[in-house]
Order: sequence, then structure tokens, then C-alpha cells
Amino acid sequence: MSADGKTGDATKEKGLLYMGIDLGTSRTSVAASNGVRTTLSSHVGYPKDVVARKLLGKEVLYGDDAVDHRLSLRFYRPLAAGVLKASQRTSEDVEGNMKAAADLIREIIRLGKPKADELVYGVIGVPAQAAIHHKDAILKAARESLDSVILCSEPFAVAYGLDMLEDVLVIDIGAGTTDLCRMHGTMPEDSDQLTNTFAGDYVDDQLATLVRKRYPKAQFTTRMIQTIKERHGNVSDAMPSVVVDLPVDGKPTPFDVTEDLRTACRSIVAPIVEGLSQLIATFDPEFQHKLKNRVLLAGGGSQIKGLDTAVEEEMRRRLGQGRVMRIDEPVYGGANGALKIAHDMPAEFWEKLK
Amino acid sequence: MPEFQVVRLSEAAQSLFSAEDVERLMRAEFDRALRHKFSLVVMLVGVDRLGQLQDLYGWDSKDEILRAVVSMLRGSLRDSDLLGLTQDDRLLLVFPHTTPESAGLLARRMLAGARKLRFDRDGRSLRISLSIGVSNNKQPSELSFETLVAVAEDGLSVADGAGGDRFVETELYQLYEKKRKSRSRARETAGLAPEAPARIVAAVPSPEAKKSEGPRLTAEDPIGLALLELLAQQGFEGGNFVDIDPEMVATAIRRAQEARTAALPEVQQVPASPEEILEKQRQIEILERRIAKLTQALGMTEQDLARVMAMKGIDSGLPSVYKNVQGLTGGEPEFERKKAMMLTILEANLALKRELEK
Repeated sequence: MSADGKTGDATKEKGLLYMGIDLGTSRTSVAASNGVRTTLSSHVGYPKDVVARKLLGKEVLYGDDAVDHRLSLRFYRPLAAGVLKASQRTSEDVEGNMKAAADLIREIIRLGKPKADELVYGVIGVPAQAAIHHKDAILKAARESLDSVILCSEPFAVAYGLDMLEDVLVIDIGAGTTDLCRMHGTMPEDSDQLTNTFAGDYVDDQLATLVRKRYPKAQFTTRMIQTIKERHGNVSDAMPSVVVDLPVDGKPTPFDVTEDLRTACRSIVAPIVEGLSQLIATFDPEFQHKLKNRVLLAGGGSQIKGLDTAVEEEMRRRLGQGRVMRIDEPVYGGANGALKIAHDMPAEFWEKLK
Repeated sequence: MPEFQVVRLSEAAQSLFSAEDVERLMRAEFDRALRHKFSLVVMLVGVDRLGQLQDLYGWDSKDEILRAVVSMLRGSLRDSDLLGLTQDDRLLLVFPHTTPESAGLLARRMLAGARKLRFDRDGRSLRISLSIGVSNNKQPSELSFETLVAVAEDGLSVADGAGGDRFVETELYQLYEKKRKSRSRARETAGLAPEAPARIVAAVPSPEAKKSEGPRLTAEDPIGLALLELLAQQGFEGGNFVDIDPEMVATAIRRAQEARTAALPEVQQVPASPEEILEKQRQIEILERRIAKLTQALGMTEQDLARVMAMKGIDSGLPSVYKNVQGLTGGEPEFERKKAMMLTILEANLALKRELEK
């Protein structure tokens, strides 16, 4: 495709595979131009010793496979708050996290099934306000597997994938971050985007705290809490009761966590609407009502039942009005949008970024 | 230049220098090139449509044409180069201390020389052209003399098949080397003597003639100059040298050849003549046909590989077919806006790249 856009996909070069990658704290998703679309939990594990290696029969384990065998592994969740832990420089094992991130990207690209001789060009969504050293770390990890890489804002990718480029507010709730982005017909600038950490992991922490407080004898891990949230997450007043079995002194015991779960899930609503308020208040007053009525809810966190309604209610309370739409494919929204950007990017632009 | 004697098949046995001698000399030169790691080029030259000319104008005409061609070739050969006539009226030439690049120049000179030859028969002026197969020993793995001859033969066949008046190097070295080894093993098993692929029957330089009638080596000649320098380095100055070590002559020739090769770029800067351009176009055409053939072979190999991979359960990937999105086209309503956005993303990424490179 030429830069002037006079030609379309009919002249796309063969031997090129475009990929849109949503590199998330909890899940990494990919959509590729060969029709493959897949997702993987963002966990990587390496056998701790020879015995574990022999038992598992693999040098590296990914996703749920790694989670299932994490006791036998040096276990990594290389992304936190939507960026590589290695780039935060607070992690104890910077090298390990960096290697795990590179391996995770390599694996997700492999799952995209590129042909051996195809060049792979990828667009990776990053949090709206990722710092330069975070982007650097992602680029370093990605360049080992991609022939050309472009980074773009995650919420922008979601909106672009849905062709909603004008007067839209995007809420992309991930595990590590919630990204908010104001689309007004041009490329969003820094002032159009907000990132906060009131996301999936925050809900997990809140739920764990509440359950621990209410049932001090109950034993659980973060992973168990996350599973409860993913299965039963709901913010509705009329949500069905949630009773889960948690061990007490080794014996599975039923606990009612309905109230705690609702409270934890609701804990992100107010911060999200607070962010929306900031973006709306700084927008042209004539068009503020349009923004309020076109709010897109995306990302894995958007799967919490009733969240769209809860955000609408909070918007009405604080901003007078609001209409929230949940996107059809929360898990793939970012990857689909990134793939669309990859396709629309002229070939010569890719060449410049090799 | 030594005197070359072109003789008919029937006269080969009476020649001063037997066919076996020529082949032995060629092999000796090849072995020396192998030992001292200098480059050597082999050419097999055929006169295009020689059989038809013989049918039309008789045996003598063919003999005359071959003599004229050999005579013309003298202009392109050095003392150290060897030439023989094979059973099928083709000329086998061995050029020691000649690089593959120089071989191209030599071949072009031969082709141009042949085009100028004229023969009058029955009131008509006949023109001839040559087909030349080229091979060289500068290959990644060690090769035999038989393989070089086989590759040259293959090149000649391709050149002839493509209409003649051209030279070709097919580069099928590994294929012929493999075949030769296979044949060699079979002959050993059967207790047979090694084969002689060159099949030299005549066209031999006479040693007597070489001594008495060869050109004088003077200080003006590049080889002579190089030889004199070598002798001076060894402490020999002035006087007559009854017997000069052939190795020293070979070294002098190599140095002269290197000097000649070093001067090649200047030669190449001379604007190409229409004939040379035509020749290049023909070469390109041949290369394109070869590429097409190789592509076809590659396709078949890929199919085989895919079959083997399928048998072993290896995932070969899926070709990109743009299933999900259609790409940015000028007809899209948001085209200009999206185009501007793509440019902004590019600029942001370029800025990031610059920042990280600091």
C-alpha cells in the first residue's frame, strides 16, 4: 500500500504478517492478518531444577500451563500495571522479568502462526501514559521476535478498531491499569488520555482484604480471589449470592462473599468516573454532551456484570448524564484495533521503523 | 604462445604430444592449482551448428573452421593456458591463475573474435559463432577436474540450447561432484579404471615447438617483468638461466594475473558496446529462465517439506490473507483522518526511537 493510499489491500505485499498485540498484565492477546486470534494469560515459568525440567518436559511454560505448575517453576508475571516489571526497576529480578517478557512475546507471536519465511510486523498497545523507559523495555523485548514494531496507546487502538474516531470516551479496564482516552477526530494527545491503577488487580486486592477481614480463618491466594472475581464479578444490587469454598485448617468451608465481591467490584467505579469527569470538563463545552453519551467500555475488567450500568449511574449523579456501551469482544478489542492500525499503516512507514 | 596443432581424429595417434599428454598436463595444472590454492578456469568451446556446416560444405570446411577458431583463440590465450580437442569437436581450455571474473572477459573476447571470422563457400560468406561453457575451481568445497569439465559441458549445452553465441556457467558443481563420486565408487566396485571425462583426442601443444617457436619473454611483458622481479628477489641478476623452476614461473604468472585483475575495474568503466549490451541482455534472459526453473524446483521442495512436516505434526503456520481487516484505501470516508493519524503514530514512534538512541 502506498503512502497516498491510492491502493488498497489488493497490492499488499505477500510474505508479510501483520499482528496486533495487546500486552496486558493479566492476559496477552493477539490478532493476526492470517485470521488467527488467540489469548494467553501473561505468565511465564522456567523449571526450577533438572527434576522439574524432566517432569514437565519443557524449558519454558506459558499461560495457564505455567500457573498450574507454578510450584515447580521460577514463576514470572512479567507485566505489572500494564508495563514490564523490569522497566520499573523496583523488581528484584530485572533480568528474569525481561527474559520472561521477551519469551512471552515470542510465544504469543508463535501462537499467531506466522509462516517460517514471513516477516512479522506488529503494533503493540501500551498504557496511555506509559513512561519512555517502559516503552523502551517493551520495544527491547519485542524486537527479538518482530521485524518491525510500532507502539500505540491501548485505548486509542480500541477506538480505532471500532472506527469510533470522533467524540468518544474509551475506558479500557485491564488488570494493571485503567486507561481513559478522549477521541475527537485526531490522534489523542497526552492531555486526552489518563491512566490509573484502579483496575482488575485493585479489585482483587480489595476483595482479598474484605474477605480476610470478614473471615479471618479462611485460607486463600491471590489466584483464588482472581478466579472468584472473574467467575462471579458483579456490581448489581440484585446480584445472585456468591458462596465459595475456601479451606479452613485444610477443610473446604463455604463462605458467602456476595457483599464483599460487590463492594470490591464497585471500588473502581468512582475513580473511573472521576477520570471521565476530568476529560469531559477540559473538552469543548459545546461537545461535552456528545462525549458523555458515547462512552466505550473495553478490556477484561469490563466483563464485570453490571459495570456499564454502574458507571452510567455514577455519571448521571456526578455529570448529569451518561451512556455507556460495552464492546462486543472485551478481550480482543485492543488486539483487533492494533491489527487494524498495522494494516492501515503504509508500507514505507513500517520500513522506517525496522 | 606455443604452437597449437589441430589434427583430425585419425591423426591424433601420430601427434608429437599425445592426447593423454594433454590431459595429463591439464590435470597437473589442476592439481597444482589445488595445492597452491590459485584460481583456475576451465572452458569448453563449441562452434555453433558445426555439424550442419560439415554436412553442407564437407569435412574440409569443418577442419578449416576449427583451425581458424583455434588460430583466433591464440589471441586470447597465454603460454600457460592449455587447449585440447575433444571427441565431439569441442575445444577444452584450461586457464591457470585466472579468476572467475576474468573468465567472463576472456569468454566475451572469444565470442567477439569468432563473430569476425569469415569463410567463403560456394560464393557465400559464412559466419560462425561460439557457445562456451565456463567453470572455475573457486568453490566452497573441493572439486575434481572431472567436475569442472562436467560443469563446463553443462554450460556449453545451455549456451548452445539457448541459440549459441554466448557463454554460460551453470554452477551445478555440487550436483556433478556428487554424480562423479557415485560413478567413481561404482567403477571401483566393478574393478574398472577411473574414467577420463575430458576425452582429449588432439589439439596439443608441441613441446619442441614450445621451445623453439614460442614467444620471447621480455621485460616489457607483465609476466616477464614479474619474473625478473622474482629472480632479483632470489638473488639472480643477469646471466642466462638454462632451467627456471616452473613453480617460479607460475608465481610470476600469478602476480601478473593479480595485477591484471586489479586493473579490471578501469577496463569495466569503458562504455559497453551494443554487442556487449546485447550479450548482457541475453545473459539476463538466461538468468531469468534459470530463476524460473529454480523457483519451480523450490516450490516442489516446499511441497515435500510441507508433507514431511505434516507427517511429523509440525505446525507450518498460516499465510497472511488479511481476513480481519481490509486495509486503508482511498475510498474510505475517514481516509484523510486515518492517514493523518497513521502519520502521527509514525512520528511519535520515530521520536521515541531517536530519544532511546541518545
